[in-house]
Amino acid sequence: MEFNVVIGGEAGQGAFSVELELTEILSELNYYFFATKNYMSRIRGGHNFHMLRIADVPVHALSGQQWNMVIALDKETETRHKPNLHEMGIYLSRELTTEIEKESREKFKFVTSSNTIMVGVILAVIGVSLEKALEATEPGNREYLKKGFEFADRWKLAGTYPIEAKAGAHCKFDGNQALSFGALLGGCQFMAGYPMTPATSIMHYFATIAQEIPVHFEQAEDEISAINMALGASYAGIRSMVATSGGGFALMQEGVSLAGMTETPIVITVAQRPGPATGLPTRTEQGDLNFVLHAGHGEFPRIIFAPGSIDETIALARKSFELADRYQTPVFFLTDQYFADSVQIVEDDVETEIRRRSYTVFDNAYKRYCLTEDGISPLTFPGLSDALVRFDSDEHDEEGKITEDLNLRVRMVEKRLKKLELLRKDFVPPTFYGSMDAESFILCWGSNKLIVKEALEKLTQEGMNAAVLHFAQVYPLTVDMIAPYGLTAKKLICVENNARGQFAGLLKRELGLDVAHPVLKYNGECFTVAELYQTLKSILR
Amino acid sequence: MVQRSDIAWCPGCGNFPIRDVLEKAFQELPIPIKNIVLTSGIGQAAKMPHYLEVNYFNGLHGRSLPLAVGIKLARPDLTVIAYSGDGCNYGEGGNHFIHTMRKRLDITILTSNNQVYGLTKGQSSPTTDFAMKNPLSPQGNQNIPLNPVALAVTMGAPFVARGFAGERDHLKELIKEAILFKGTALVDILQPCVTFNKINTYQWFKERVFKLERPLTDRYEALKMADLWGEKIPIGVIYRNVNAPCREGKTLFNAEITDDNIAAQLKMRCVMMR
Repeated sequence: MEFNVVIGGEAGQGAFSVELELTEILSELNYYFFATKNYMSRIRGGHNFHMLRIADVPVHALSGQQWNMVIALDKETETRHKPNLHEMGIYLSRELTTEIEKESREKFKFVTSSNTIMVGVILAVIGVSLEKALEATEPGNREYLKKGFEFADRWKLAGTYPIEAKAGAHCKFDGNQALSFGALLGGCQFMAGYPMTPATSIMHYFATIAQEIPVHFEQAEDEISAINMALGASYAGIRSMVATSGGGFALMQEGVSLAGMTETPIVITVAQRPGPATGLPTRTEQGDLNFVLHAGHGEFPRIIFAPGSIDETIALARKSFELADRYQTPVFFLTDQYFADSVQIVEDDVETEIRRRSYTVFDNAYKRYCLTEDGISPLTFPGLSDALVRFDSDEHDEEGKITEDLNLRVRMVEKRLKKLELLRKDFVPPTFYGSMDAESFILCWGSNKLIVKEALEKLTQEGMNAAVLHFAQVYPLTVDMIAPYGLTAKKLICVENNARGQFAGLLKRELGLDVAHPVLKYNGECFTVAELYQTLKSILR
Repeated sequence: MVQRSDIAWCPGCGNFPIRDVLEKAFQELPIPIKNIVLTSGIGQAAKMPHYLEVNYFNGLHGRSLPLAVGIKLARPDLTVIAYSGDGCNYGEGGNHFIHTMRKRLDITILTSNNQVYGLTKGQSSPTTDFAMKNPLSPQGNQNIPLNPVALAVTMGAPFVARGFAGERDHLKELIKEAILFKGTALVDILQPCVTFNKINTYQWFKERVFKLERPLTDRYEALKMADLWGEKIPIGVIYRNVNAPCREGKTLFNAEITDDNIAAQLKMRCVMMR
């Protein structure tokens, strides 16, 4: 059983708050749910909508089925979402929500309490008892919630879509929160940034925790400054991160190259949104893979992660700081608006042990860019001893002094690139779902993981012969990563949120794989399970 | 030790005396050399850290200041000096120059100001005088010069000074005072470019500079003084405000994030702002 509800309204009307409160309470009540949003680049007005899927099994994607309930806070909701309401579904028209707002204002003096009233209506619809609902609600909001249950009774909606709360012990995260939490576990103590959707909430997270935890967030005058601040902090000994979206990352590129040359550890999050240029600032896309792959002038190694679930995000965010330190090179986190803004629960135990930066103290014979067998020079920080720590963006000698010795240049290039060979052996393997002998393999990366997984489950139930391979590490791609799957003999389908099949292109370039069927979406919205199921079915048939 | 012959500056370059002054200042300062970090950008002046025995991060053109900010915020225990030329600090890094001063951190900004782009062979810099001819402005520079000293006073920097490479002892004391001053300090250093700037020469400056007897403490008086350029050029501390609050970074290095800190995060509400 599942219940799909959409709440539509103008920006600033409260749909956001309904989602926030409802997800808090659903989590408290141990419900399985998935929530995401579609919003416009404005502060007031327009039309935003928030989508929730509540179920008695784990859900990590939009179902794409007809709505069981549509809540209209504006007229637009009627034209846009009501046509997709199930024939048995509940429609809270603008007239009804106005009634809620009116009573809210009369009884509680505030129109904002109508948000909680609507949460109450929804909870009543899925059959939560008033007693349990009240327990799970902040004391200050309980009166409003109760009013919501009254409305549900008045309109005979209570218990019309009963869903059982079956989730076990769990944590609740949105994508950005998971990433930030993982970064904290990775020992990240410094972040600099310039606000940009959909990365801003990562900055909010760090600014908030910095009030109590020894971490620092600095708002920079631009993204160029942000990445340089983070590199400065990393040089000084503090694990550091920046987060931005495509346009901001464009400004950071010279800093990426600087990290590559100076071998400064840094983690860079690019939360993608549709470009080019300003594009659709608040919508989703996976259009910056090629950009991140090639960002920064010159040749240097890099790692790019694109996690597909909350737990994978936490684990990889933590790992990325260790890898950045180990290989002294930039590590990228490629996410997108859909993932950043989706709220999900994780039942698996989240590994919460902190990975702190370790360091060695050297004497004054220390050479920052000492030539070693594997290309990795020991890293230390200034002020710990008489060892001088000298980083240089010019080609440099072992001490970090500027040089134009061309023989040394060759050795330094080779030193930096040797790390790539190490990286090729130290990879995060792709996640596999399905049967190894499947004829068709559906390949995907980043946020599409669990949408594709659920679509596969539906296809398998109907006897379709397919499997899924999801890449959380999209670069480097190595032969060893795909060795077990015999992909050259399979029919390959690649699901991506972009127009040109960038990952399929990368698979071709790096691994010689030919994708027969690209499945692409680039209207700014994520895939839904139903939509993907239909498309894949027509390909597999 | 640095061999003079390995230095990439032209013979007679105004950066040589500045280098010597810095070396001496570091010896005289009551700060262990291991705790001093220089950041620099790109250009002839920005090569300075390579010619001193000191910690440094020689970054990209215009970016010495954000590097310095990051280092200071991460490690308040370090003495952080951003060193670069006028093109780096006032041109490519002009935005950082403005905003770094707003941050009120204890950072020293030193600029070798030769009013010309040296390394790219003689083009206009942000401080090149109006109408001065050069390869990219054959009809004369059409821009009026940026006044870094006046700008710093306007932006609220609590210590603003101008030095001259031809007045070594005076410059050394200025630099030492700037480094020891608690707050953002700028020393704009008049540095003759013997190759590309045939107007603002040692001789030209010698005839014009005069030493301020004491620091100005009134911001508007300081602004008037900062505006003085041409026949008379003031050197010394043009503005000093010992009462300006200085922002202290918090201790991060070796500071423990506890298991309780982590546990509290698991209960956090989802962040609303996007």
